[in-house]
Amino acid sequence: MAEIDNNNNININNIDKNNIDNAVDNIKEEIKIEVKNLNFYYGDYHLLKDINLFFKKNSVCTILGPSGCGKSSFLRTLNRMNDYTEGSKLKGEVLLDGKNIYGKSIDVVELRRNVGMVFQNPNPFPKTIFENIAFGLKIHGIKNKQFIAERVEKCLKYAGLLDEVKDKLHKNAFSLSGGQQQRLCIARAIATNPSVLLMDEPTAYLDPASTATILDLIANFKKFYTIIIVSHNIQQAGRISDYSGFFLNGELIEFSKSGDFFTRPKDKRTENFITNRF
Amino acid sequence: MTEKENNKKTEDAGNYFPVNKSYIKRKKIYNRIAYASAALAFIIGAFPVFHIIYSALIIGYKYLNWNFVSTLPSGFPIGAKGGILNAIIGDFYLVIIASCLAVPLGIGSGLYLSLFGKKRTNSIIRLLNELMIGIPSVVWGIMGFYIFSTNAGLGFHFGFSALAAGLTLGFIMTPIVTLLTEQAVNRIPASYIEGALAMGATKWQATKSVIVKAAMGGIFTAVLLGVLNIIGQTAPLLFTNYYNTGMPTGITGPGGAVGDLAMLIFIYIHEPSRILHYKAEAASVVLLFFVFALDIGMRLISWVTVKIFEML
Ligand SMILES: Nc1ncnc2c1ncn2[C@@H]1O[C@H](COP(=O)(O)OP(=O)(O)O)[C@@H](O)[C@H]1O
Ligand SMILES: [Mg+2]
Repeated sequence: MAEIDNNNNININNIDKNNIDNAVDNIKEEIKIEVKNLNFYYGDYHLLKDINLFFKKNSVCTILGPSGCGKSSFLRTLNRMNDYTEGSKLKGEVLLDGKNIYGKSIDVVELRRNVGMVFQNPNPFPKTIFENIAFGLKIHGIKNKQFIAERVEKCLKYAGLLDEVKDKLHKNAFSLSGGQQQRLCIARAIATNPSVLLMDEPTAYLDPASTATILDLIANFKKFYTIIIVSHNIQQAGRISDYSGFFLNGELIEFSKSGDFFTRPKDKRTENFITNRF
Repeated sequence: MTEKENNKKTEDAGNYFPVNKSYIKRKKIYNRIAYASAALAFIIGAFPVFHIIYSALIIGYKYLNWNFVSTLPSGFPIGAKGGILNAIIGDFYLVIIASCLAVPLGIGSGLYLSLFGKKRTNSIIRLLNELMIGIPSVVWGIMGFYIFSTNAGLGFHFGFSALAAGLTLGFIMTPIVTLLTEQAVNRIPASYIEGALAMGATKWQATKSVIVKAAMGGIFTAVLLGVLNIIGQTAPLLFTNYYNTGMPTGITGPGGAVGDLAMLIFIYIHEPSRILHYKAEAASVVLLFFVFALDIGMRLISWVTVKIFEML
C-alpha cells in the first residue's frame, strides 16, 4: 500500500505490492492535482483544515459531505475563485501538474482557462447560445470566426446539446430549459480546452431526466478531463466516480477509491454518512 | 367502536384542522383595508401631477403651437411676443454638457463601487454620494459660481455661461448616476460575473461584456433619472448662467449664457405681465412634454440597445 499521507487515509489500491517503487513513479505521473496541507480561512473562521489529497488524471472524483462543510469552498480553491472573496486566506499548496497554483509565477487567467468550472445554478450569460460559448474564446484573444464557429459546434456536440439547439444558436440562452442551460454551461466550460473540470453540485436544481443526461456526459468526459464533482447525492457519486472524498466540518475524513469508499469505509463517520445518518 | 369514537380518534391523530371562522372573516377585511389605503396613497400622490398638467394646459393652451417652440422671445417685456426657442436650445446645451461630465464619471464610479472597490472604502464613498445628493442645489450653485464662473476658485473663468452651469449641473447629476448604476449592477446575479471569471476573463472583460450588458437597462434608467433631475433645476443656474433671451454665441464668457425652461418659467412668473404668466404655464407644458419624451425615448433606446447587445 502506498500511503501518501498518514492522517487522512489516502490509499491507492491498485498497486502491485511487489513493485512499490515502480508504482509510486506511476502515481506521480498520473497525478493531475495534488493538494498539500491546505488550510483555508474566511476571516478568522478556519474552515478547511489541513487538507491533503490528490486527483488522478482522467478520473472522476466526488467530494461528498453535509451542506456547510466546505465542499464548495474547497472546490473554489482549485481554480482560485476564492481570490475574490474579501477577507479569505489560504495556506498550503495546490499543485497542478506539479506546479503550485498559488505560486508567484502563476497566471490566473491561464489557470482558469485550464481549469473549467460548472456552477450549482445554471448560469448562462444573458447572450445568445452561440455567444455564451464564443465568449470563452474571445476573452482569450481568439478572433478567427471560422475557428470560433467550429469550436462552438464541437462543444455543443460534446455537451449533447447540438441537436436540440442547432436551429436556434442565435436565440437567447434563457430560452432553454434548466437542464439545457446547465449543459450549455458545460459546453461553455470546455470551450477553452481545459484539462480539469470542477463541478459544484451540477445537478442540484435539475429534474431526474436532465440529471441522468448530465451524469452520462460526465462519465464520457473522463477520457478528456480530470473531473472533480461536489455532490451531496450518495447514489450519484457511487455511480459515476472513481474516487470519493468525504468532508465534515472542513476536514477531509476519508478519501479513497469509490469501491472501497462505499463498501468498506474506514471511518465510522463516513459510514454514518453513506448510510444516511447525517 | 361507534362512529363518534372513531371521529375522535382521527382528531387525535392530527387529521383535524381547526377552522377559525371569525379570523378568516377578519383577514379578508384587513386585506381590503390594505388595498384601499394603497390605492388612496396613490391617488393622493398622483393628484398634484395631474393637477399641474391640467391647470397648465387650461391656462397655457392658446400658446401651445409650433410658433411657440420655434421662435425666440421678443416684444416688451421680452417674451410678450415670440416663443421659447432660446430655452429649449439652452436646455439641450446644459443637458449635453452635464451629461458629458456625469455619465462617464457616474457610470465609472458606480461600476467601481459594485465591482472593484473594497467594502470599507465603498461604504465611505457611498456615504459621500448620499451626502452629495442631499446638498441643496443652491449650495451647488454657489460652489459652481466660485469654481467655474469667477477666477477665484481653480482659475477657470467661464463667466455666466452654459459651460459653468452645465458642469455645475453635471456635479449634481454625478452622484445620482453613481448610486443608481451601482444598484443596477448589484441587481445582476453574482453568478454572471463568477461564470465569466471562472473562464479566465479578467474583471474588466467580465464587466464590459457581461455585467454592463446585463445592467444596461438599469444604467440607462440611472442616466435618465439624472437628466430628469437637472432639467428642472433653477437655483444653480441663478449663480452660474442666469438667463439668455437670445441664442448663445459660445459656451463660455460673454454670450456663453443660455436660456433654460425652468429659468424661463421662474422669470416669467415674476414679471407683472399676464401674457408672460400664461406663457410660463405653456412653457411648463413643454417642459413636461420633454420629460415625457425623454423618458419614452430613453426606454426605447435602452430596449433596442439591450436587444442588440444580446446578439454581440
Ligand atoms: N464568502 C464567505 N464568507 C464567509 N463565510 C463563508 C463564505 N462562503 C461560505 N462561508 C461559510 O463557509 C462554510 C462552508 O461553506 P461552503 O463551502 O459553501 O459549504 P458547502 O458547499 O459544503 O455547503 C459555511 O459555514 C458558510 O457559511
Ligand atoms: Mg456548496
